[in-house]
Amino acid sequence: MVRLLSRTLRRPVVHDTCITVLFLVLGTLLARLLNAALVNIINVSFLYILVVVFIARYTTSYLYGIIGSLLSIVCINFFFTYPYMHLNFTMAGYPFAFLVMLVVSFVTSATTTNLKKQARILAEREKELAAAEKEKMRANLLRAISHDLRTPLTSIIGSANLYLENGAMMQEMEKFTLIHNIQEDANWLLNMVENILSVTRINTADAKVSKTAEPVEEVVSEAVIRLKKRFPDADIHVKVPDDFLMIPMDAMLIEQVIINLLENAIVHARSKKPIDCFVTCDEQSVTFHVRDYGIGIPEDKLPTIFDGTGSSSHSDSNRGMGIGLSICKTIIAAHDGTIRACNIPGEAPAGHRFYHANPAPCGAEFSFTLPRGDFSHTASEESL
Amino acid sequence: MSAKLSILIIEDEKNICDFIAAALMNQDYRVFKSYSGTDGLSQITSRCPDILLLDLGLPDMDGTDIIREVRKWSAMPIIVISARTQENEKVLALDLGADDYITKPFGTSELLARIRTAVRHLARMNTANSTSHIFRASGLVIDFDRRRITVHEQEVHLTQVEYKIVSMLANNSGKVITYDTLISHVWGPYADDNNRILRVNMANIRRKLERNPAQPEYIFTEIGIGYRMIDAEA
Repeated sequence: MVRLLSRTLRRPVVHDTCITVLFLVLGTLLARLLNAALVNIINVSFLYILVVVFIARYTTSYLYGIIGSLLSIVCINFFFTYPYMHLNFTMAGYPFAFLVMLVVSFVTSATTTNLKKQARILAEREKELAAAEKEKMRANLLRAISHDLRTPLTSIIGSANLYLENGAMMQEMEKFTLIHNIQEDANWLLNMVENILSVTRINTADAKVSKTAEPVEEVVSEAVIRLKKRFPDADIHVKVPDDFLMIPMDAMLIEQVIINLLENAIVHARSKKPIDCFVTCDEQSVTFHVRDYGIGIPEDKLPTIFDGTGSSSHSDSNRGMGIGLSICKTIIAAHDGTIRACNIPGEAPAGHRFYHANPAPCGAEFSFTLPRGDFSHTASEESL
Repeated sequence: MSAKLSILIIEDEKNICDFIAAALMNQDYRVFKSYSGTDGLSQITSRCPDILLLDLGLPDMDGTDIIREVRKWSAMPIIVISARTQENEKVLALDLGADDYITKPFGTSELLARIRTAVRHLARMNTANSTSHIFRASGLVIDFDRRRITVHEQEVHLTQVEYKIVSMLANNSGKVITYDTLISHVWGPYADDNNRILRVNMANIRRKLERNPAQPEYIFTEIGIGYRMIDAEA
């Protein structure tokens, strides 16, 4: 009841007045009802003290507590002391009773106000900390981006200049290579821009995304199709569970994550073996895997691979993937999911996996897990 | 084709406009360019192009207003050019009557494919008796008269609802169809606009038509917007 009122009456004055009146009426009614049982006026007074405490607790200003105390005295006088239904303040003790009620209301109001203030300060401090953390992340990202964008831009500008100035003297093959490089670098830039744009879809206030239920297979297939536009020769084996799976997500972002992971596998695995992209699920979660059969990830890189720092040390061979992976982590975190990378240990006969002291990896696997949310029905429940 | 098809491009970025125009002129289309919404509207009425290429982000007016304006008197194919992240804008444009969209940045081959699709639909619009025909695309055959669907000669059995969805997409092959359009076509205009039931049906259709539902060959998803059937073979 109180909550309903407070929701409809947002303005504090209206809200507080209503609370005051409500508690007074409730108290008076209760006292009337129990008049026989309460027997004497002292118990009625206790009831009204309780009313004053509640008023002071649930209103925002001292004023209402004072008004409440005053009205309580009037009510006691009017309803519960002889002569009934008349006001008569000639009896002794009323100033004292009023004083007690006043003090009670003051103390309660002061305590609640204090509590509220402390809670607010705490919330503010927390927000400040989160903002500082976010600011730091943003600065890191910007630094990494500007560093990584320079390389392809240099190549594009250089190739275009060369073509414009010396185009007449160049052979067809040379021209083709130049233009091809420009296209490649521009595409890479585009993907980077898509990545950066995708981060802006994450709500800056609480680092959350707006999720809708999306079929897993559609998201995976669209990601693969979009990647194939850039890498037409990429050989990717896709497998999704036979069950129809719908999980809450921002599909555009999850698509970006899959694309980044696939691109990472294509560019860095240094292997011609096909890449596996598959989805597994259990009761609570769905996990997307991207597995390549290439050179694996250097052990010293594994712990920090999602931190966005990987690319700066040797800028050209690895360019940009640091950003791509750190954006993956940001996106998955905003979905309350987890992301991880590991090496696949070298093949052992008959399906056993031996852990040597220093096993040479035969590939790497990136995977991320998303919670299934409230949409975890299977197709059979709902199909027509 | 005796007369060249004319295409009007309304796009405020001159570089992009030039590149599109060059690509189209290479393919023997007649091309008109316009760099603003108001000029575009007047060119639409004065030149009556066969196809309209429209960028939604114009400096002087909202591209969707142009769609509204044109749809008052013409059914000319409108292909919207839009940025990738603004799904709402695309859905709005499609629901207002745009025929298709293409996402920036795009390659010439993608653009030309969309225009060929539009041209084909234009041709079908002009020849009225399009009710009885057969849809063919890389192994998928839909015989609309007999309501028979075969994939690589194997007959596929679809439910009533699934067939409705597939035939709607096939009749508009190459074009994207929004979730809402599909839902109101299959379940009527008062259907619940929750598209989950459509997604479930689509998953079932994929399991019947596609070799691997995660690597579809016939029906593609445009996340957040709708579905697109592979272009029919000529």
